[in-house]
Amino acid sequence: MKRGKQAILLLLASLLLVLSACGGNSSSPSGQNGGASPSGENGGEGGSGGKSGSGERIQLTFWDFHTEAEQEFFERMVAEYNAIQDRVEIVYSTSSQSDYTTAKLPIAFTGGNGPDIFMISPGDFMKFANAGWMLDLTPYFPEGALEDFLPASIEAVTVDGKILALPYELELLALYYNEEMLKNAGVDVPRTWDELLDAARKLSTDTVAGLILPADKEPYFNFVWYPFLWQNGGNVLSEDGKTSLFNTPEVAEALDFWGTFFREGLSPTKLQQHPAEIDHIGSGTAAMQIVGTWAINRLEQMFGDMPINVAPIPYPADGKPATDAGGWKFAVNANSKYPEEAAKFIMWVFAEDPERALEWATEIKFAYSPRQSVVEAGKEIYNKGLRKVFTEQIYDTAIPEPRYPAQVVDIVGDALQEVMFGRDAAEAAEDAHQKLTKALQELQ
Amino acid sequence: MKRYTKWILPAAAVMLGLLMIFPLYTLVAGSLRSETNVFDGSLIPKDWLFDNYRIAVEQSGIVRSIGNSLIVSGTVTVVAMLFHSMAGYALARFRFPGQQVIFSWMLSTLMVPFAVIMLPLYLIVRELGMLNSYAGLIVPALFNAYGIFLFRQFYREFPKELEEAAYMEGLSLARTYFSIALPLSGPIIVPLTIGFFIANWNSYIWPLIITQDDRLWVIQVQLANLVGSGHFTPWNILLAAAVLAAIPTFILFFMAQRHLVEGIKMSGIK
Amino acid sequence: MKASRWSARKRQEWATAYAFLLPDTVGLFVFVFLPILYAFYVSLHRWNAFSPRAFIGLDNYAALLADDRWWHSLGRTFLFSAVYVPLLFVLALGAAVMVNALGKKTANAVRTMILMPFAITSVISAIIGVFLLDPRTGLINQLFRQIGWPAQQFLGSPSQALYCIVAVLLWINLGYNMVIFLASIKEIPRDYYEAANLDGASGWQAFRYITFPLLRGTSTFILIVTLIGSFQVLDQIMVMTKGGPVNSTQVSAYYIYKVAFEQMNMGYSSALAFALFIIIFVLSLVQLKLLTRE
Repeated sequence: MKRGKQAILLLLASLLLVLSACGGNSSSPSGQNGGASPSGENGGEGGSGGKSGSGERIQLTFWDFHTEAEQEFFERMVAEYNAIQDRVEIVYSTSSQSDYTTAKLPIAFTGGNGPDIFMISPGDFMKFANAGWMLDLTPYFPEGALEDFLPASIEAVTVDGKILALPYELELLALYYNEEMLKNAGVDVPRTWDELLDAARKLSTDTVAGLILPADKEPYFNFVWYPFLWQNGGNVLSEDGKTSLFNTPEVAEALDFWGTFFREGLSPTKLQQHPAEIDHIGSGTAAMQIVGTWAINRLEQMFGDMPINVAPIPYPADGKPATDAGGWKFAVNANSKYPEEAAKFIMWVFAEDPERALEWATEIKFAYSPRQSVVEAGKEIYNKGLRKVFTEQIYDTAIPEPRYPAQVVDIVGDALQEVMFGRDAAEAAEDAHQKLTKALQELQ
Repeated sequence: MKRYTKWILPAAAVMLGLLMIFPLYTLVAGSLRSETNVFDGSLIPKDWLFDNYRIAVEQSGIVRSIGNSLIVSGTVTVVAMLFHSMAGYALARFRFPGQQVIFSWMLSTLMVPFAVIMLPLYLIVRELGMLNSYAGLIVPALFNAYGIFLFRQFYREFPKELEEAAYMEGLSLARTYFSIALPLSGPIIVPLTIGFFIANWNSYIWPLIITQDDRLWVIQVQLANLVGSGHFTPWNILLAAAVLAAIPTFILFFMAQRHLVEGIKMSGIK
Repeated sequence: MKASRWSARKRQEWATAYAFLLPDTVGLFVFVFLPILYAFYVSLHRWNAFSPRAFIGLDNYAALLADDRWWHSLGRTFLFSAVYVPLLFVLALGAAVMVNALGKKTANAVRTMILMPFAITSVISAIIGVFLLDPRTGLINQLFRQIGWPAQQFLGSPSQALYCIVAVLLWINLGYNMVIFLASIKEIPRDYYEAANLDGASGWQAFRYITFPLLRGTSTFILIVTLIGSFQVLDQIMVMTKGGPVNSTQVSAYYIYKVAFEQMNMGYSSALAFALFIIIFVLSLVQLKLLTRE
């Protein structure tokens, strides 16, 4: 009776208390509360940081997805930049990669709340470019910096003559293999498609997979297949991205080759860990794996005593070698309140002093820099261990990851999966070609 | 004969229980393995790294995020219980114009996938100034027709005698509810509390997009952040963190068991 | 005298009812209904990341009628629900009846065990699922091999993947629904069972003629809510299969999510969501009518 009523009043009171306390914390349109604070503080709402009172610094938000050592690198960069100047303060935050690309960024940008500084992948590049969310960075390159970049890597981020993002890493794919397993099975290091298939057949056992390839549909899935496509002379779309080139025999052959590994059980159709993790071959449950430069550091750290070596991805006897070069890019929100300041920061991190770019590419992870001066400066590292194979045999054959719209990625992914599970490759290619043509029309 | 069958039922039940728990065992076992052995498929872990738990606590800021989750889930659960039981009672017991319409309308709000209202909701919450705050985490989560539906269901089957007796005594309708119906709603409040608390505890997408400040992270967002940038994930630490994250809910279970009453005692009115 | 008391009571009833309903009505309106209205508004536009926004009326809806992928996803959704909902119902009810018949201590223990999977978040439960179902190292296949059955591809097989998702969801939700049934079973007065016992009824007859009919309301509730929920399963699919293999697990909810967030096509995805909403609504209505017929 009375007790019941009292309890409820108490409840409502405490609720009000809680809400009002939070109300104080919530970002109010008048801007940030409190001044400078290191990363982790109130990220600030609204399209882009906010100016806090006179005499205080401009706040810019930097959203990232990196973790562990890579996150630590960026946190250091932010702290250093905040320390060496007092006009701008960067506020850093990070989330997991899949959330970053599938939820956090899209929602924030669509709602008009995107961060000032962020990362973009080739897969999402066109989405953001078409929506006008990325700032034209061309005027912000320091003197002479632009020429230092590989033309192909700049082209990959240029739309209508505007450079919309800053590339800072090139991650190449190669074939990692277990030397001992190959030796025991009497198999040479495969160089051609036929040899790869043959090797996989001989190396596959009940407990060891012949070759690890991605099996779930996602941008990385296509990413690993593209080298095979390009080696065989095929391509998904025309240069200008307006026509589908998918209904050629070269495409069908590349599809079929891919599918064979799965149909014959040489590559598992379901993996516990992500196919980009070197653990598959590192733990001895696979003989070969196609994966990228990023794996080398982990290989040396965690699986140092496994006899693993690397070779270029095998190519068809009548084709040419090719591999894929992926990598994230730095970008600035076109709607940022302080685009110039934001652009200055990203240029400072990766387009100025090669030291930082070198540290990223050679210590924090292993990747190639799109800047020639950095590759020169890091010559020693680029020739250490497995990296040497990449530098000498693979680097020159790299083609940048294409930046197709999501619908295209999805259709190609469907074709790949259909072939993996038994559909005729030519049919699948033709079918995909129809769908691609239709999708491209709709996107026009 | 009868003694024999008396054994079968409990035995079968326990077996079912063990079967249901077994996957959880693999979760705990996985959390004790070394990073490279997590997926080796063995039944018993080769290593017993309790240290993983220490690392999970240190590296992942998990204590704070559990605290946040407790605040959010706790508040939502308590307040929602009150609101929904009131609404369910009104729909079950009272007669008033628009009753059917209101109920159908409420029910229909369950039928739209969250992915679709996610963005408009984000915009609304932003307009209300609740972005990046506890309010933004708590208030939108309070309103879910599932609870209303279940309470209504429960109160429809509730025996009327007690309330009628109260009415004879001259109690107002509101008083009747608070003093008689609500206290006896144990059998439905217990599962609903569990359900709401857990649903909010496990809520992930909404907290992800509504908070930017990592001091406001709830446990699920924190856990997802432990999944590496796609190149390497310390699975064993992640699993350890997941086990830690589930502990409060297990505690809730055990506490709730004591209150699952054996039915409404009817003896009072006779 | 009586007239005024009658209308006074009525007024009190109305006032109390509206007052009781107020918080939830307001809340649902602001935080659920408004977004739904907004989503509907969006569905009438061409609204994607790359073209200017334009009002296009029902064009999105016309487009979805011609969308093979949409129909395919509906097919997978219906299949999923057709398998999942009856199974969950039967298993939850069966488990409830079974636990109800146990002694107190055993009942507590078993109930807790069956309920525990519910405490795990959907992401972790999905990870456990992937772990156990792995074709090579998963414990389930290891068991199969031990007893001489062939190992299965499970999530790597277009024909099995969907059922694996069903299994994982059953594992998670069985306990909770069982507890709801239990609450209702316990509302049934013992006297009925005692009377039936005296008449010599068997356990099964007691169930069929006493328990089951008296659970009608709860059964209806569970069936409707489970159906609605089964149309919205998303997290497990995102973690375990990403809609594959070969789109065999690309249910409508997942397709809607993809169109919205991978293709950034808000207009079209809102239209899809509305179409799904209408389907769920109609199905629930039909269910309600069928189940509450006296």
